Amino acid sequence: MGKIEVKICMGTMCYVMGGADLKDAVDSLPPEERQLIDVSYAPCLGNCNDAGEPPYVQVNGRTIARVSKSSLIQILKEELYNNAV
Amino acid sequence: MRTNGDFIEVDCFQRNKGNNIVCGDTFLSHKFKEEGRVISVLSDGLGSGIKASVLSTITSTMLMNFTAMNEDIVAATSSVLKTLPRDAVRKISYSTFCVCDIDCFGRTRIAEYESPAYYLFRNGRCVEMDKFRIPVRRDDMENTAMWLSQFQMEKEDRLIFFSDGISQSGMGTPSMPFGWDSGCREFIARCIAEQPSLSAKALARAIVAEAEKNDAFQLKDDTSCCVIYMRRPRNLLICTGPPFDEKNDAALSRTVMEFQGKRIICGGTTANIISRETGHSIEIDLSSVHSGLPPAARMEGIDLVTEGILTLSRVERLLAEDRREESPDNPADRMLQMLADSDKITFLVGTRINIAHQDPTLPVELEIRRNVVKKIKSLLERKWLKDVDIKYI
Repeated sequence: MGKIEVKICMGTMCYVMGGADLKDAVDSLPPEERQLIDVSYAPCLGNCNDAGEPPYVQVNGRTIARVSKSSLIQILKEELYNNAV
Repeated sequence: MRTNGDFIEVDCFQRNKGNNIVCGDTFLSHKFKEEGRVISVLSDGLGSGIKASVLSTITSTMLMNFTAMNEDIVAATSSVLKTLPRDAVRKISYSTFCVCDIDCFGRTRIAEYESPAYYLFRNGRCVEMDKFRIPVRRDDMENTAMWLSQFQMEKEDRLIFFSDGISQSGMGTPSMPFGWDSGCREFIARCIAEQPSLSAKALARAIVAEAEKNDAFQLKDDTSCCVIYMRRPRNLLICTGPPFDEKNDAALSRTVMEFQGKRIICGGTTANIISRETGHSIEIDLSSVHSGLPPAARMEGIDLVTEGILTLSRVERLLAEDRREESPDNPADRMLQMLADSDKITFLVGTRINIAHQDPTLPVELEIRRNVVKKIKSLLERKWLKDVDIKYI
């Protein structure tokens, strides 16, 4: 089973709109779940000009807009579940 | 400031006598961009503390203005002496000074009044310059004179002048009963021999630190050292913002990669453009994640990659408040350090407006890039005497 790849946008808009805290959400997961997730940052995913709904996160290559700490945890739980079944 | 294609780096380092909270020496330096001229004045007021500070501030400010207006130095000195308040104990009004005026061709005029003689280091050796003695008439003292010298500054020349806190440091100790004096000259020669490209800033600090050591780390007088170093400029390019026209992306990338000097990319989109054009990948530097700013990144061929407007705004604020960030990993602090270590700074500013930043509900830090860059330019020129250019693309 491959790890879930999470890429958090660190562009100005995403950072200001809450992207700065998103890694904390991933780190708050229980260790057995956290170890299944690879988190990295991207300088700018270049989405904010099109849709204007930062912060953006890519989860396994899928771009998700307007991510909050709670919604990211929700998304990751779903991904973990999908990977497990 | 550039003179004949060279850069004149001016720096002064000061330490106060004992535990005084005010330095009795005053150093002023101003560059006149239109004339390509740099005037620096160091004055040492009688005594120490506030009184000395008042005397030296009056002296240096007046001399700076008189010199800038090309007034006769003898008349200027006489005006200063008449203006200085009289010391209630010693019954004299007194301060020493050294004025150095370098024009756009490197022609240098120095006027010294009762201050320790300046040193001119050329090719690693201290060179003696001809000086003319001009008597200064005053009512309260006799036999005072000013020394004038005029010469051509050459590339790699270093001009060093200081207050007597340096030359008299260590006085009375067995190893230097008459003070540091010529030992200072030997110390400077040694520093330059060890590190031929030593900056004015580093040399000024090294000299003051050595004087402090001579005085067993308890300075007996206010101590100031000014170093003027004429050298090839250290260039820095800060590229921020995408070009107005996407067709210019390749040109932007070429300009950055072909730049002779250090390079900073400031902005995620800009970094992506350069990365796409050069094929070099961007790696986020995780050490700077918790700095309160978006983290810095690494890219081959680029010295520093940061986020754009938030980082620039922080740099502007730190410059305006004369502060440094506490964390050395902070991207704004790293940029400040690179700015401090450069002489000629070029901002390459992309003029494409980021539509996403125009929402009025966003934090005020998201100012227009061009305004922030203009503020930084003005601060760097005024406070750090840097040579700054802005180019728009």
